[in-house]
Amino acid sequence: MGRRKLTVLALGAVGLAGALTLAAFAAPDRARASTRSRLPTDPDEVIATVPPRDPEEVAARRALATSPDALEIAVSLARADIQRARSTSDPRYLGRAQATLAAWWNITDAPPDVLLLRATILQSLHDFPAARADLDRVIALRPDDAQAHLTRAVVATVTGDYAAARASCAVLANAVISATCLAPLDGLAGHADEAYAHLAQALAGVRGNAELRGWAETALAELAIQRGDNDVALAHLQAIVARDPSDAYGRAALADVLMLTGRAAEASALLAGHEQIDSALVRRAIAEHVTHGPDETRLVQMMRDRIAAAAERGDRIHLREEARFALEVDADTAKALRTARDNWSVQKELADARLLAQTAVAAGDPEAAAPVIAWAKATGVHDAQLDRWLRQREDAR
Amino acid sequence: MKAFVILAVIAVATPAWAHKPSDAHLKLAVDGSIVTGRLDIAVRDLDAALVLDENADGDITWRELTAAAPRIRAYVADRLAFAADGQSCTTALEAAGIAELSDGAYWAMPVRVTCPHRPEVLAITYRLLFEIDAQHRGLVHLEGQTLIVRSGDPVRAKLDGETSFTSFVKEGVWHIWMGFDHILFLLCLILPAVFQRPGQRWAPATSLRTVAREVFEIVTAFTLAHSITLVISAVGLITLPSRIVETAIALSVVAAAANNLARVVDARWAVAFALGLLHGFGFSSVLIDLGLPSHELIGALLGFNLGVELGQAAIVIALLPLLYLIRRTLAYQALLWGGSSVAALIAAIWSYQRWFA
Repeated sequence: MGRRKLTVLALGAVGLAGALTLAAFAAPDRARASTRSRLPTDPDEVIATVPPRDPEEVAARRALATSPDALEIAVSLARADIQRARSTSDPRYLGRAQATLAAWWNITDAPPDVLLLRATILQSLHDFPAARADLDRVIALRPDDAQAHLTRAVVATVTGDYAAARASCAVLANAVISATCLAPLDGLAGHADEAYAHLAQALAGVRGNAELRGWAETALAELAIQRGDNDVALAHLQAIVARDPSDAYGRAALADVLMLTGRAAEASALLAGHEQIDSALVRRAIAEHVTHGPDETRLVQMMRDRIAAAAERGDRIHLREEARFALEVDADTAKALRTARDNWSVQKELADARLLAQTAVAAGDPEAAAPVIAWAKATGVHDAQLDRWLRQREDAR
Repeated sequence: MKAFVILAVIAVATPAWAHKPSDAHLKLAVDGSIVTGRLDIAVRDLDAALVLDENADGDITWRELTAAAPRIRAYVADRLAFAADGQSCTTALEAAGIAELSDGAYWAMPVRVTCPHRPEVLAITYRLLFEIDAQHRGLVHLEGQTLIVRSGDPVRAKLDGETSFTSFVKEGVWHIWMGFDHILFLLCLILPAVFQRPGQRWAPATSLRTVAREVFEIVTAFTLAHSITLVISAVGLITLPSRIVETAIALSVVAAAANNLARVVDARWAVAFALGLLHGFGFSSVLIDLGLPSHELIGALLGFNLGVELGQAAIVIALLPLLYLIRRTLAYQALLWGGSSVAALIAAIWSYQRWFA
């Protein structure tokens, strides 16, 4: 046998051994990792940890169990669960809040307090039309309810009903809240510069209320991103995360800006330890994939498992994440485009428009971006990233 | 080496549980008029429904869980029912263990359902946890279908005529192919078979026939050994903790691979037999997790074992001619030494993970 043939074969053998090693790490014994059950031997082994129980809440739950239509108790329990869902990003609490409101869940004209909570839950489950209908009902009953108007403005913005969103923002008396409410609408209308200046000014004199400040500054950061001022956005988002490390939205937005500016390794470090939250996991998996980081294999598998688990229970509320993952990790442009389209039919924020334009370009299907172009024309929006994708689309045609 | 091990430890010790909506899994296998399987419910969901954390310190211990077991059983018994073509079945709930899923620990409770006859349509009424979590879903896995239960209304599964025997054959094949450790063990044993020692020195085998005979001996010894322990442990004569079994299986791969490097034992059929005994214990826990129908135990055992043999035979038949062809080349030497080293390394990592995970 010739020398060259031998070399080729030897290389092949080394390759096979390498592939075996890789396979062992990529699927570290998948059969075992399945759901084998075990019998603990130590009675003191901690099997699970739950948030410490508040005795008052236990009493309230007991009272609600005996009289499920006790409105005040149900509302305060549901409110606490929604707050918990928000602060921990754990969707289980949304289902618990919904269960607390079971007595009224299917009643169209439920009491206004229930309608407001139901709308908040429906919004979190991405059922925007149902949330909007409930909010309209609350406002018909309580035309001055600030919380209802604020939530209605958010829901109407997501679904592209900008006139309704503006009308609700206008009702809000507080200057910062009103300016923050209007900021994304002005941004979408092509006035990002003015909106930024206005909101920054409104926020300048304000002290206290960390939650409101965080929300307003997030709006500022998003306007800055829209203008292509990534450094300014970075500064805002870093301040937000430093003030409130549990702000999952701010952390994800910061990671996005870092990745956008070629600092994926920093984005990955920022998200490390937050992988239990889907929005963090998908971004960290992408960041590790881009930088070929040490956790790439594990995180990519974790994200795949999570997408599969959501599909298994019939959920489709992670379309944005799924499309990004398909595009940037799987490089499956057709699937990414399909998912981005489905996502666009549910929500129409700037991020959704960018995603559809980007996936259309990547998939070599410029026509698929037509709805975004029509939308951009109708709103008059200008956005650094979106405009770049649309230019690339023009060049591709 | 060190870097590898550290990496592996990090991968195992992910601290935070995934944040997921609440799901429970009901995995079922139908065997004649008997339906067996396992119901997995998140411990934190059970705590929300039944208050398991007696001392309210936020930690749910195994002691608290065992104390609550009768309450959990009563809760499930009240809310889970089966019917075969309209006729109700009786449900028995057996002693539960713990299964770790991506979002935390689950109460894994074996379920045994006895129906009046073999169901064509199995109706499952599942009403757990909806009262505490309206987004809870019961996911029923049955013969490759997944039914999603969103409310207390019964769901129906149409069952095809596949017998449990063929399904256990499939499981056997699947398990040997997916169970990387069994394949690795077998590969380590047959890799050196194309090299023999007729006199004092090792030399490439001269006929495919002798090679085939040796491989046949090895595979038969392995089969015999793991069949023995599979039966012993599946019928409950001897059961070993899975941590010990799994670690020992990984160590057996280390041993088989190391033997290729050091050439301590020439009679690899003996190695196959001695260490194959361990693998049988591993197979049996898979079989038990599948929901072993005890009244048709023999059929299930035979089917599963047959599947394992078929899976093995496919691998050996595909590999042997290849090995024979390249036995005189450098590539073969690279595969023998490199492959065995890599196998030993991987299996050592597994042993570590399985013992300390």
